[in-house]
Amino acid sequence: MDRYYKKKFVPLALPALILFVLVIVIPFVMGVIYSFTGWRGTYFVEGEHFWESFVGFENYINAFKTKKFIDAFVYTIKFTLVAVIVINVVSLAISLLATSLNKGAAAYRTIYFLPSLLGGLALGYIWQFIFEIVFSKILFGEEGVISIPALCNMTQDNTKALFALVMLVTWQLSGYMMIIYTTGLNSIPRDLSEAASIDGASALQRFINITVPMLMPSFTIVFFLTLSRCFMLLDQNIALTDGNFGTRMLATQILRTTRDSSPPDYGLAQAQAVIFFVLIAVVTLFQVSVTSKKEVEL
Amino acid sequence: MLMKGRRKAGQIVLHIVLLLIAVCTLLPLAFLLFNSFKSNNEIIETPIAAPSAWTFKYIIRAAEQINFFKAMGMTFLLTAISVGLLILISSLAAWVMVRSNSKLAKIMYLGFTAAMLIPFQSVMYPVIDIFEKLGLKNIPGLVIMYGGFGLSMSVFLYHGFIKSVPQSLEEAAIMDGANIFQVFFKVVFPLLKGTTVTVIVLNGMWIWNDYLLPFLVIGNRDGVKTLTLELYFARLTSGQYGNPWELIFPAVLVTIIPIIILYIFLQKYIITGVAEGAVKM
Repeated sequence: MDRYYKKKFVPLALPALILFVLVIVIPFVMGVIYSFTGWRGTYFVEGEHFWESFVGFENYINAFKTKKFIDAFVYTIKFTLVAVIVINVVSLAISLLATSLNKGAAAYRTIYFLPSLLGGLALGYIWQFIFEIVFSKILFGEEGVISIPALCNMTQDNTKALFALVMLVTWQLSGYMMIIYTTGLNSIPRDLSEAASIDGASALQRFINITVPMLMPSFTIVFFLTLSRCFMLLDQNIALTDGNFGTRMLATQILRTTRDSSPPDYGLAQAQAVIFFVLIAVVTLFQVSVTSKKEVEL
Repeated sequence: MLMKGRRKAGQIVLHIVLLLIAVCTLLPLAFLLFNSFKSNNEIIETPIAAPSAWTFKYIIRAAEQINFFKAMGMTFLLTAISVGLLILISSLAAWVMVRSNSKLAKIMYLGFTAAMLIPFQSVMYPVIDIFEKLGLKNIPGLVIMYGGFGLSMSVFLYHGFIKSVPQSLEEAAIMDGANIFQVFFKVVFPLLKGTTVTVIVLNGMWIWNDYLLPFLVIGNRDGVKTLTLELYFARLTSGQYGNPWELIFPAVLVTIIPIIILYIFLQKYIITGVAEGAVKM
């Protein structure tokens, strides 16, 4: 039987392979090559003249000399660190609350999930209004309900905008992550917790010693999803601050590098993109290997 | 009795907390709804109140400005064709990859999985460059690109599920003389329904809302754009005259209404799709 399938392998897998090579493999390899060349504007030297445009590591050195890139790098890491923690705490808390409900949890979950269906750009515009008008004038302004300067004009300050972005992304993604945690929680056998309860374990002890270890597979996935999504965040960043006040995330920085100089410096942008890839690959692989080691088998 | 009473009180407190979270979730969307019926002045002066009059003036004007019906039709077609292509190609590939169990299949699987770590930004400039040279910097090209970018995850999901599907049914069909496509579409594909829902939901959500790829491929050229792209350009041009929220709010509203309607009818499938997708990863 294996032979039968092997004979059909090439024709059936070929469309996928062609798409994959055309859209991912070739562009990825070319991208790495481009990062070592002075690719500017729409003009790229190919064929025999290729070596004339070869610049070695110049683009990489320039990238680390570009203040905007360094700032975006640091900003992305700061944002990701805060956002991953906040999203996970919020989504796990909501999921724990909803699963301890006797009935009616499904209706709440339906509501919580809604924002994650909507586009980052559209939501970003709504939140821009909330931060600029509702927060700054009605709720936390000088004449507002309660004056909290830290929550005013959040989109016009580097540090405040980071937390504004965290709020927006938490509001948007928590429902999605909650669904994944809920699936994990529901797959934990009830008798484990009941047995521990009879043995006199407190709710906190049960949570730490039963729920957390049993939930490890969900942690692996949610950490992976939140990490990669926060690292690659673009739409919300553009909608909320458009990268002004030094709030560019790496994805925005790579997109805007070609606008920062004339003619557009694709070589420099591409070098930043390669660094971006290495950063994401290293961090997510490290995370997956650490959290999946902690998964327990039943 | 005391235990029972305490438990009941606990449930009520839980309901109150969950209700508050639900209100926080829905409030921004309520602002959106209310402010879509107001003039710019009214929005700034009474941003959180219900509108003084429920006039559809601003919604109609915004819908006209972003070419709502054209853009929605285009976004729908783009999403549907891209997702259809993805389902067909990735399910077939994943199936023969699992069944043939050859070295080549394993290498391919490894390649697909590894590619999930590649961020879009790392390949976007070369992709656009290549597609421009191929004369595909257009809407058909966009479908092909979505096919390529969604492939890794879709193959991964199908691959994971097909491994657990017994081979005996297919073998029986092959013995009966069915050809390979009959075997796949009549025997195998119906069994993959759950995974197909996940593939549709995860890719559909992403392609429908995507901003960057249509921006790079279509940009601000004349002609039909996607909804997200229309919204982006509406915001960009409106920003030149301060903040005409009377355009932005109704424009955002009309772009998200199709998704909300879809969600109301298909919420069960959408939520299961997301949950199943996570389990298989």
